[in-house]
Amino acid sequence: MWQKLYTWLDERLGLGDMYANLLDRPEPKGNWWNTLGSASLFLFILQGATGIFLTVYYTPSPDHAYDSITYIMNDVAFGWLIRGIHHWGASLMVLVVFIHMVRVFVTASYKYPRELTWLIGVGLLLLTLGMGFTGYLLPWHQMAYWATTVGTQIAGSVPFLGEFILKALRGGPDLSALTLQRFFSAHIWMLPALLAGLIGVHLYLIIRHGESHFPDEED
Amino acid sequence: MNEETKKTISEKYERELQKGERFWPDSIFKDVVVSLGLFVLLLLLATFVGVHTPPKADPSDTSYIPRPEWYFLFLFKFLALYGQIPVLGKIEFIATVIIPGAAILVLTLLPFIEKSPYRHYGKRVLPISVMALFIVSMVTLTMIADIPTTSGTDGVYVAGIAQTIGGLVVPGLAFLGLFIMAFTLKQKAKKGMIWTTVIASVLMVVFTGLTLVYAPTVEAEAAEVPVTLPDQITAGQDLYSVHCVECHGDDGSVSVIEGVEGLEGEELTPINSRDVLYTITDSAMQEVIAYGRPTAGMNPFGKAYGGELTRSEIDYIVTFMRYAWDDRFEMPPVKPLYPALAEGEVPSYDVHIAPIVKRYCISCHRAGKENNNYLMGTYDEILHSGDNGPNVAAGDPESILLLTIQGTPILDDNGDELIGTMPPNKQLKADIIDVFLRWVMAGMPQTAEEAAALSTAPLPTPTP
Repeated sequence: MWQKLYTWLDERLGLGDMYANLLDRPEPKGNWWNTLGSASLFLFILQGATGIFLTVYYTPSPDHAYDSITYIMNDVAFGWLIRGIHHWGASLMVLVVFIHMVRVFVTASYKYPRELTWLIGVGLLLLTLGMGFTGYLLPWHQMAYWATTVGTQIAGSVPFLGEFILKALRGGPDLSALTLQRFFSAHIWMLPALLAGLIGVHLYLIIRHGESHFPDEED
Repeated sequence: MNEETKKTISEKYERELQKGERFWPDSIFKDVVVSLGLFVLLLLLATFVGVHTPPKADPSDTSYIPRPEWYFLFLFKFLALYGQIPVLGKIEFIATVIIPGAAILVLTLLPFIEKSPYRHYGKRVLPISVMALFIVSMVTLTMIADIPTTSGTDGVYVAGIAQTIGGLVVPGLAFLGLFIMAFTLKQKAKKGMIWTTVIASVLMVVFTGLTLVYAPTVEAEAAEVPVTLPDQITAGQDLYSVHCVECHGDDGSVSVIEGVEGLEGEELTPINSRDVLYTITDSAMQEVIAYGRPTAGMNPFGKAYGGELTRSEIDYIVTFMRYAWDDRFEMPPVKPLYPALAEGEVPSYDVHIAPIVKRYCISCHRAGKENNNYLMGTYDEILHSGDNGPNVAAGDPESILLLTIQGTPILDDNGDELIGTMPPNKQLKADIIDVFLRWVMAGMPQTAEEAAALSTAPLPTPTP
């Protein structure tokens, strides 16, 4: 019965090929530092899952954002856990992605033939920081509000384009409901979509070239 | 890179694969262990550390010191230190755009900048030194991020000098030194670069330590924000007692204002009535408190309009009004104002008197009100301030405070009333008067420990 089901699926999905091409691959002798890439992926998925749950109750408006989060923390069953994981997961993800970058730098894994993997990796690092920046405003508390005021001001200090960037980020001269809506949209749609797409390319490149080996004196 | 090098690299990789492992299950096993470990860590953090909640955003409260997420702190600190540089520091965009932009550009284009095919760290001293210095600066800048860059006063500010040297001068010189060595000495520079990095790192750590040691002690953060409904109601009631009681009375029932200078005899709708509570929504009520009603003599209370209250505080007051007076809301169990006293127990200032004073007295007995300069904000003020002071003396049942709260006005030599009964409009409940009596008679202990020490001998039951 199971055999039959497997054969039926295999004929259509190519499970055997997938196993041979994706999983049953040779790798250079592994190192624990090499797990940080997959750990980043895991954290991304975890942030996605908890983030999706949070949008069930979260309301991106200055009048309700703070109260909706208080509600999630105090009244929703396990809301505190989901929020807690999302909150700490954000910090941990920045940390893990950064250490992953340092590891790749130290072992010089970005050299031929993995230059493109690095390029996309830097993009992923910046997008992760972008997620942190946009997500920080969403609880709409004092710290978030003023940190974002200053953060957008810094972005506004770019010569010539500053004014435009500032208005584009804030949706006007000051932080307002529009800013919150914008950051929310960026945080749950634009940046995750970009992240997911780039992660796909990053993974494809890793499978194509294989994990790099730990350099010895020959390299 | 020529074809030959490419071929060598590919061959070397093939050889590594030969003595390597399988992706499934060897590599995946390690990945799963690490991911699971991180997940458990997150569960523990979420459960035992939780999420700190600052008060609600208040655009009018510009005094709030902004603090970004911890992973941006190093940039924040860098900007602050950069701003200290004479002349160049005034050109803000060099620090906000050009330097970070250049760093990101170098990082992005790294594979095209560092073109040598070598991967072993012994052959990559310059890039690894630069990265190491960069990470040490990031960590040290993050650690001193909360320490003010300038002291704001004249004189030598050691923490400021130390952080400028450790956070800006040392790494700046070290980076410069590394590049000069790399481009002048070429291959011979290895040792020099390693030493530069090590010495610079040690110096940065030392100056960071100095900064932390000499940093001015910062005041503890403000009290925890009330998050649960009962806490918010209590906070609201305390704020109401300070800001609203004078005109509206402690139960909101006042319809003609008495005893308030300038508003004497002013008529108003009792704010605990259905007329008010059923017709005015929460947000409208918040706006009335924030803007005031200038035509009816009510001052604005919101910070944005010159008052004293933040958005959150106004929210709490409205929450309190709803749950206390609106019959459509059911009051949740709220902690009592002070813990009930047992027979012979002595109350303390910290536990009993302070919350009572905050609710019933502070409204008038604070700076800027008509109160014969008797302020009741702190323990010392209660004991010593006031034109007729001291208003309380340990063990003296004839203390002005005790007499006035028990309905005996103080008369001057001509028999005119000098100090009226307190509070002016409504006498305190008997059990609160009892707390004051016990406290004064027992010697006015400040802390709970002092009070407990006095409690051993049972007191004579005070007469209300």
